[in-house]
Amino acid sequence: MKKFCVFFIVLVMLIGLVSIASASVPGKILIWCDETRAPVLEEVGKEFTAKYNVPVEVQEVGFGDIRGKLTTAAPVGEGADLIIGPHDWIGELIENGLLEPISLFGELRSKFVPVSLDAFTYGGKLYGLPYATESVALFYNKDLVPEPPATFEELITIAKGLTNREEGRYGFLIQTPDPYHLFPLLSATGGYVFGENPDGTTNPLDIGLANEGSIRGANLLLRLIKEGIEVPGADYQTVTGLFNEGKLGMMIAGPWTLGGIKEAGVNYAITKIPTIDGQVAKPFVGVQGFMISAFSENKLLARTFLTEFIATKDVMLKLYERATRPPAFLPALEEVSTNPDIQGIAISAADGIPMPKIPEMASVWGAWSDAIELIVNQKLEPDQAMKNAAEQIKKTIMGE
Amino acid sequence: MTMKNLLFSISLKILILGILDALAIWSIITIIFDGYYWVGGILSLGVIIINYIFLSEKAYPFRYMVPGLIFLIIMVIYPIFYTIFVSFTNYGTGHILSKEQVIEQFENQYYLSEDNATYTYQVFKNNYGDLKVILYSLNGESYLCENEKKIIKVNLSDSRFIDIDKDGIIDQFDGYKKLDKIQIIQSLNELQNLRFKKDEYFIKLVSLTEFKVYSKKYQFDSLEDRLLDLKNGIIYYPIEGYFVSEQGERLAPGFRVSIGFKNFIRLIKSPQISNPFLRVFGWTFLWAFLSVITTFALGLTLAIVLNDPYLKFRKIYRTLLILPYSIPAFISCLIWRGFFNTEVGIVNRILNNFFQVIIPWLQDPIWAKVALVIVNLWLGFPYMMIITLGALQSIPSELGEAASIDGASGWQQFKKITFPLLLVSLAPLLIGSFAFNFNNFNVIYLVTQGRPAIPGAGTPAGSTDILISYTYRLAFEGVRGNQWGLASAVSLIIFIIVAIISAVGFRYTRALEEISKNV
Amino acid sequence: MYKKHSFTEAFIRNLFVWIFIAFAIFPFIWIFSASINPSNTLLGQSLIPKNFTWDRYIEFFTNEQHPFGLWILNSIKVSGITAIFTVILAALGAYAFSRFRFKGRRTGLLSLLLVQMFPQMLAMVAIYLLLLNIGKYISWLGLNQHISLIMVYLGGAMGFNMWLMKGYFDTISYSLEESAMIDGATHFQSFLRIILPLARPILAVIFILQFIGTYSDFILASILLSSKENYTLAVGLRLFITGQYTTRWGMFATASIIGALPIMMIFLLLQNQLVSGLTRGGVKE
Repeated sequence: MKKFCVFFIVLVMLIGLVSIASASVPGKILIWCDETRAPVLEEVGKEFTAKYNVPVEVQEVGFGDIRGKLTTAAPVGEGADLIIGPHDWIGELIENGLLEPISLFGELRSKFVPVSLDAFTYGGKLYGLPYATESVALFYNKDLVPEPPATFEELITIAKGLTNREEGRYGFLIQTPDPYHLFPLLSATGGYVFGENPDGTTNPLDIGLANEGSIRGANLLLRLIKEGIEVPGADYQTVTGLFNEGKLGMMIAGPWTLGGIKEAGVNYAITKIPTIDGQVAKPFVGVQGFMISAFSENKLLARTFLTEFIATKDVMLKLYERATRPPAFLPALEEVSTNPDIQGIAISAADGIPMPKIPEMASVWGAWSDAIELIVNQKLEPDQAMKNAAEQIKKTIMGE
Repeated sequence: MTMKNLLFSISLKILILGILDALAIWSIITIIFDGYYWVGGILSLGVIIINYIFLSEKAYPFRYMVPGLIFLIIMVIYPIFYTIFVSFTNYGTGHILSKEQVIEQFENQYYLSEDNATYTYQVFKNNYGDLKVILYSLNGESYLCENEKKIIKVNLSDSRFIDIDKDGIIDQFDGYKKLDKIQIIQSLNELQNLRFKKDEYFIKLVSLTEFKVYSKKYQFDSLEDRLLDLKNGIIYYPIEGYFVSEQGERLAPGFRVSIGFKNFIRLIKSPQISNPFLRVFGWTFLWAFLSVITTFALGLTLAIVLNDPYLKFRKIYRTLLILPYSIPAFISCLIWRGFFNTEVGIVNRILNNFFQVIIPWLQDPIWAKVALVIVNLWLGFPYMMIITLGALQSIPSELGEAASIDGASGWQQFKKITFPLLLVSLAPLLIGSFAFNFNNFNVIYLVTQGRPAIPGAGTPAGSTDILISYTYRLAFEGVRGNQWGLASAVSLIIFIIVAIISAVGFRYTRALEEISKNV
Repeated sequence: MYKKHSFTEAFIRNLFVWIFIAFAIFPFIWIFSASINPSNTLLGQSLIPKNFTWDRYIEFFTNEQHPFGLWILNSIKVSGITAIFTVILAALGAYAFSRFRFKGRRTGLLSLLLVQMFPQMLAMVAIYLLLLNIGKYISWLGLNQHISLIMVYLGGAMGFNMWLMKGYFDTISYSLEESAMIDGATHFQSFLRIILPLARPILAVIFILQFIGTYSDFILASILLSSKENYTLAVGLRLFITGQYTTRWGMFATASIIGALPIMMIFLLLQNQLVSGLTRGGVKE
């Protein structure tokens, strides 16, 4: 290899930009996170450095790229020490031997919302330090919908009144095909993705997507289509676009849309998802947290950074400010619980269940999305579509 | 060339070659010393070949190709071999690490001793940078500890331990000074590697405030090639990339191993692949074909019109027409996806206004395909326009003039002269464009994601899925996450298919070359 | 081949071109609209948003977290250098294939083309590991360096670009070089002094194609570049795209528009070269 490089020297005279090393280096903490979290981490990192004289470097990596990058880079010593992401990443990362367990002892443990710790626990060990919880909720435009509906029947009535497709106005939309957003409709009536074993671990062979509850939820979706409320092709762009322009009364969405909504100046409010047939709609709860790489040269340092520094009210509040999601750290959560946005999401999340994090989830999204699409386009009956999806998933999991 | 010049250039050549050879030999020796025998061998071969090329007259033509070939071999050929290599392994989720790395991870796992003994501590450092630690047990005992050594019980009231500020905490002894919290945090890397021996256990730093007593959980027996669980006494054997016990318990993480042809057999035999295969393949072929035809037709036409010296503003026109080429594909694909949105998209809004018609673009299998072809046309015609403009420059205008004198019309000129000549230079590029679109994962994924779904398919399959998007999806959303080994096998098979089609196409261009010689 | 037009002819031709210009520009207008639309949507209902804002264009140059200006400069630098050297390497190769007859010429040429068709997806990991190892021996040729990225791109220089050039060279009559070599010129000198000047149009074409191709690449660049100061524009934009749920379309659109300008400018500048110079001095057999 070196020989060819020497040839390059002769043939090529280039100006190179020598840059800082980007690998896990002893005595320094390297963090990978996406562009929404990088600024606050940099700020927080500087504080840590000022206090302890240990350098902290933050690198922005695209959200969808972090796992892939860690998988390629960490085993060859080029990975970060810490990454930030949602809890459903840990199944895959642990299977790849990329995460280091974090030990949280006694008193510190009790300062976290229990379900957030559960979300990051796998095989009995904790693999992440949570800092925010999130779920979808019902977002509505107060100008169009003064009183939010408490039951789904009410929602349908209000939506019908508002929808006028000729004029481009809509009453209620869920983005499709999106299993994550649709899940509350299925869970309310008893649907689930993977069942649980007696010992609490997930059982990937028990697929609940075709059970009675799920099919009821799917039928509800079809009803929304048939009544002209939900329209085919309502993807994330469309739904949030319409809402931001004041042309949509209600939508099921998550706190990540708040940035756009606020910028657009919509008079919005957040509340929990209406009940279906009198039962609570349980959305998926996602927990954001810090994870330590198993290939880090600074495991103890990283752990100390988390337990001594991040897990403090000040820093958690700073993270919250940028994240606009309910903090998972109880002292911080108490402080911000008067914020109406937080209340809305927190109420919704309180009813929620953590998203499954086993690697088998990867096989679920595709088949489930297809089923939703087929229902929305009225190509298949809901029960047929969901049964097919469950079959596909089962076949994939059992391997060919 | 004069004798002097000749001598000069030859000496220069030998000098440069000599220097390079010296550097090469030195670096090859370094590489072989570091244990990379294969790389060293290949490099040596390469150096010898390059020397031959530059010193032998027979190999003169190859001198022009050496620089380009070097880059080609390193950046294109080597990754191909790598991909082929990976296709014979199980590299993927659960099998990312090598066996050695996995063993290392297991051997670094510990379990707490039953008494869950905990120690608080102080760290001390002397002027040479050596570390010693005093551990305080919960029942008041103190121990002096050094890395890799047994802990020694000590009495802190002994005179060698000095407590300067009389706060009950020892500040120095024997030339070792205490580290404060900040210094401890800065030294955590060293501290985390300390191991103190106690009976058959050892003590290590587990958090900022405590040392705990641990026992090693696993031991790898390299003679018998098995992993022993020291705590529970279970034996694990390496089977197909996992450590598995006799009861079938499987440990994570697994490791990558070579699995021979399993990936390929799976691809060929699996019903999930073979059922929709013909259908997906048919569409892939049609898609590539339509893409090339439409973009070339439009690009060609525009190039000819814009090559006309009598057309005013053609420079501006050309610049405007390459706009699609200058915006990143992912934003334009997403924009087009929005345009084709059935409910609120621009296309339907216009169609509705003028023709009272709404087309379910992305929901209908056929219309989705039409939409894709339109998007690809938009994305691709500038490229065709540019290369045609280039190729047009190589057609001497005298040919056209001569033909006009003979009374041929513009269209006839085009048909009999321009077009065949263009095809000679451009045909391989058209084939290349075909191959590119055959594997055009990006456009399909961004605009339709392969949708709309085929109802009742055995696997998640879409009506606009092309071979590569469908199979990659299987590889990456399959059983357990990403299966790179399978995806590599897919890449190889797709490459073979594309190469065969292209090779056939190239044969055709040979015929074209013959025709052009007679013009 | 071309004659002066009558008025109607000119009108029809211009109209024809304008139809397709409209087709080409159409989405661009929407991107522009998104860049001035305060609500971060990609497809607003109205073409000119209600309270449009130019803020983003200002933010583009002043944003500290995302140094777009620096990224564009990086892109221009990397693309420009890659394009120059691609032209050089392709020209050298094309000359060899065009002017010399040696064993394996035809097969070699076709193999070079075929090799480019291998699906690139897994090449990323291979190249990453390669550069990682090189970087251990030569620190400035490792990961996260522009030089390394450029070298990776140059791997494709001897491909279809070269074929295009070869086709062009083939049409340059050999007689010019013959007479030069009778006068004592070497192959290489006739390559430099005769072929290259005559081949200006195709050199320009290859330069443009390679420049644009490199400029838009984000896959290779995002694997190899890891520090923000080194990112090219495509990599930087990618940060916005892989977000959990992308909301920053406004900024993304703005960056795309400004990012398209260098390409347009280069194309405009090089247009002058796209004129046939072949008839002057070439003698047809």
